Amino acid sequence: MHPLQAIHHQMADSRASRPGSRWRGGSEVAPGPSLPPILRRALWPIASLAGLIAVWWIAALIADAPVLPGPPEVLEAARREMAGDYFFHLGATVARVAAAFALAMSLGAAIGIALGMHRGADRYFSGWLTFFLNLPALVTIILCYVWLGLSEVAAITAVAINKIPNVAATLREGARALSRDLAEMAALYGLERGARLRHIVLPQLAPFFAVAARNGLALVWKIVLVVELLGRSNGVGYMLHLHFQLFDVATILAYAFGFILVVQAIELLILEPWERYATRWRR
Amino acid sequence: MTEARSGSGAALEVDLAAKRFGDRLTLGAIRFSLSPGERVALLGPSGTGKSTLLAIAAGTDRDIEGHVARGAGRLAMVFQEPRLLPWRSLTDNIALIPGAGGPERARAALVEVGLGAEADAWPQKVSLGQQRRAALARALAVRPGLVLMDEPLVSLDAENASAMRALIRRVLDETGAAALIATHDRAEALALADRVLVLGGRPAVLVADRRSPLDRTARTEASTVEAAVAPFFSGLESGVLSDA
Repeated sequence: MHPLQAIHHQMADSRASRPGSRWRGGSEVAPGPSLPPILRRALWPIASLAGLIAVWWIAALIADAPVLPGPPEVLEAARREMAGDYFFHLGATVARVAAAFALAMSLGAAIGIALGMHRGADRYFSGWLTFFLNLPALVTIILCYVWLGLSEVAAITAVAINKIPNVAATLREGARALSRDLAEMAALYGLERGARLRHIVLPQLAPFFAVAARNGLALVWKIVLVVELLGRSNGVGYMLHLHFQLFDVATILAYAFGFILVVQAIELLILEPWERYATRWRR
Repeated sequence: MTEARSGSGAALEVDLAAKRFGDRLTLGAIRFSLSPGERVALLGPSGTGKSTLLAIAAGTDRDIEGHVARGAGRLAMVFQEPRLLPWRSLTDNIALIPGAGGPERARAALVEVGLGAEADAWPQKVSLGQQRRAALARALAVRPGLVLMDEPLVSLDAENASAMRALIRRVLDETGAAALIATHDRAEALALADRVLVLGGRPAVLVADRRSPLDRTARTEASTVEAAVAPFFSGLESGVLSDA
């Protein structure tokens, strides 16, 4: 989804509903008020995922070929890898994701807020933003490796450069929408710069940070794998490359699923609770 | 424009030559001042430029020809929309204002306006009347020398409006702040103010500046205020206050 569409979707959504209710999709239909809320919330996603696994399993049974392994083969591959360097590679990738994500969020937010608040700067630099938004990820990665060498710095820079324009575009929308009424109130009562940022500006930008973070995580981890594939000697991307050369689909899927679990855990355990906390004041 | 501390000891001095929005002249020459502790109503139909004049008096609108001076002491404002931070509790909304004296004083200020039970509520979970009262508590918590109020009773039902009117009188008595209160309601002007400025015409100027015949005790009685309205405003051309 385009980041701006995502914002509108998100804003409309969170305005219309009680805090957090969008995450309780289907809770009205789910049986048993005795179930703890976290289980009730998870019921539909679990059912949906089970369906997907069933379809995959059946397809694998029909195909009956090493290039389409079923769940048991993938589990077996995962067990084998876990006895080896599975968590080392997963950890290397997570570390790169974290570094690139933090870099892109902070730089992108600073650029976006500056553009949203200063119309002159926005007019001048919006062409730049469009250029970087449309620059293919692969080009950035290749250029970073050429210019900075096959290093960790080059890898993380390449991922961050891919993500910064998205964050900037999202936060620019947020900064444009800042309330003038509240800014005027703050000026009249003489709030200090720091207090204005903390009490007035950041709370208004919170939904935009949430959208940027959610889209950002999805984008960053996909690009990290490409960066690893092209120029690193560890990480999930590197292992995918290795097993691609061996045509070992079961191991490729084992790494991919491990990574999906990590990303989902970050979403469920960090992003969603934070978002619920940040929007708890809505009526 | 120039802006300075008032040299004459007045709480507010406005000496406006003109206020334009683009090519349109909205306010003409307007001159008045408020003594410390004086309560002045700024009366006029909606759209005459009362809010603009308040913004000029507050110093948030500095794009004017003329100058404004305010006396020593803090400035506070009760906006037409309460302008509370929806992501902060009512207590925090007051406590985070410099000079409001922190959470304990904020709670006391809320008790003062009858919101003791709502002190920890989010602004969007209480009624508009309650939000207005919280905004009033915020304004008075800074112990201002001058309070500007923009239609503090608009869109409140009769019962809430009358309670709010009494509350405004009481908190002004307690803090001794000067007040400039914009309203379109003649009775409200006489119920709250020592003096009434009438804004009218295009561009708007002061068409009247009259001292109220009612003292601060007399104007607490609704029937006295009602009876005083017609004679007080007689002689003002009809149409100036058409929707009052």
